[in-house]
Amino acid sequence: MSTILEQKCPNCGGAVEFNTGAQRLKCPYCDTEFDITAMPEDTSNQVEQINWNSQGAQWGAGETDGMSVYACNSCGGEIVADTTTGATTCPYCGNQVVMKGQFSGALKPDLVIPFKLDKKAAKEALKKHISTKKFVPKSFLTDNRLEEIKGVYVPHWLFTCDAIGNASYKAKKVKTWSDENYEYTETSYFDIYRSGNIGFDNIPVDGSTKMPDDLMESVEPFDLSQAVDFNTAYLAGYLADKYDVTAEESMPRANERIRQSIIDSFKETVKGYDEVENQGANMNVANGIYKYALYPVWLLNTKWNGENFTFAMNGQTGKFVGNIPTDKKAVTKASLLLGAGIGAVIYGLMWLIELL
Amino acid sequence: MTKKIFATLVAVIICFSAVISASAYTQEYVIDYADKLASSEIEELDLFAEKLESAYGVTVLFCITEGTGDVTADEFSSGTYGDYTDNENGIIIVHDDWNKTYFTFISGNAGEFLTDASVDSMIDAYDSNDSYYGGIYACYELAEEYLENGYSGGYVYDEEPLNNDTDTIGASEEKDGVSIIWLPVSLLIGLLVGFLIINGIASKNKSVKMQENATVYTRPGSMVITGSADNFLYNNVERREKPKQTEKK
Repeated sequence: MSTILEQKCPNCGGAVEFNTGAQRLKCPYCDTEFDITAMPEDTSNQVEQINWNSQGAQWGAGETDGMSVYACNSCGGEIVADTTTGATTCPYCGNQVVMKGQFSGALKPDLVIPFKLDKKAAKEALKKHISTKKFVPKSFLTDNRLEEIKGVYVPHWLFTCDAIGNASYKAKKVKTWSDENYEYTETSYFDIYRSGNIGFDNIPVDGSTKMPDDLMESVEPFDLSQAVDFNTAYLAGYLADKYDVTAEESMPRANERIRQSIIDSFKETVKGYDEVENQGANMNVANGIYKYALYPVWLLNTKWNGENFTFAMNGQTGKFVGNIPTDKKAVTKASLLLGAGIGAVIYGLMWLIELL
Repeated sequence: MTKKIFATLVAVIICFSAVISASAYTQEYVIDYADKLASSEIEELDLFAEKLESAYGVTVLFCITEGTGDVTADEFSSGTYGDYTDNENGIIIVHDDWNKTYFTFISGNAGEFLTDASVDSMIDAYDSNDSYYGGIYACYELAEEYLENGYSGGYVYDEEPLNNDTDTIGASEEKDGVSIIWLPVSLLIGLLVGFLIINGIASKNKSVKMQENATVYTRPGSMVITGSADNFLYNNVERREKPKQTEKK
């Protein structure tokens, strides 16, 4: 007696049948036959075990004495600075901040990467960044308030782990040949499976809601070998943001990047195929620990046409990022001019070809 | 007084006679040394050639001989017409009926419209006609057609197959330019390409994006593959007929 198993055909997606007598799977819709070992492993229902543990330290007595919290009444951002800091503006929205009180409470950072590049370097980098771009509105260049650029220590959660994972891929090989009358294309399909371990060190996840995540990930990477144990002395002359995204809330982003790394790294070991497409991945995290660190970032927030534009420079490496507005009129004008020129050249070439 | 009137009348008559005789003079365009043509035929063909000369300034001479003696057709023509062609725009076609050979000579601006290929086609038209008169007439008709086309700025017959259909010749004149309708089409294509290029440049103003993975944070040398399987599933073979090559006519 035959037993029917519910499995999807990798060719057409139909439910394949397993014939216990023949010990083979066969799709009743497209008649494709498979060995039992050839069926892709269903990785969708595997239970992942991801555990992260903190190494977080607490503030010692008197350690926060010289630090105050400043609040922005406009965007609600809270920054930390030493008590000697006078009136300043919010690095996220550019409005005035006011002292809220003595800093207290939150977890003490484990590490800090001190600023290596000063304000002058940051201003030069911003000028260079803008000067290399096209179609930047003139008013944006002139209205830019370079002096408002601020050094901010941005809170990050750093995740370190050994990831144990597996990933499956669907791969394709294409072979072509021909005879006197016909051209033949043979497409062979393969199910690929890889499992293994990868270690990750200090994957950063932005711990501030005020700091755009894409902006912070764009200034990566930071060199953590230059990090030092946190000391409030490093905050002198700079602003610091308190984390308002917890480590637990940051974990999904770290896991997402780890999972994609497993897919991408394992894929590099799949060789000899014309196409490789990921079908899924699973991972477990072992020895997962997270730390709290402050990363140095130079920030400039400026408004143009009622829209906020934030520029960030990695205070350690000098990598500068930030979206620059485009002058739509200039873009339209350039498109029309270039288009008319290309059109004229095309028409001229038509004439030339016709006359030749 | 009567004598004066008579003398004047005689002078007028003499002058009128001279004008009449001068206008009655017709240059010989068709020279028939072989006596193949009737005088009326020669006269008719001369008139045709004269018409060509006056309309286009090109003289078309046709000579039929029964051999050229001890000289070649080339030497014969040079000897007979050499002086004539020096300062003329025209062509000479000499047909040695005895040896069945032809010699052609083109001088001046005539070569601009009556090319070697067009003269060959004129000789073919002459040769394929049953009568000498009909042949020369057909030859002149072609000459007229080529001259007319050439002078009107149209198609100059050169190496294309002979085609007497004037409509076809007229149609080929359209090759000399691109229709104006292609101008807006070209501009439209240009604008599309220009739009794509400029927007591609403008899009570089955006440098902020999320990272895709954490590969840069991979611990060096930490990746170990513990399980690996490459399983063949199935294959498909598609067969497609090769496109047939069109046979040349």
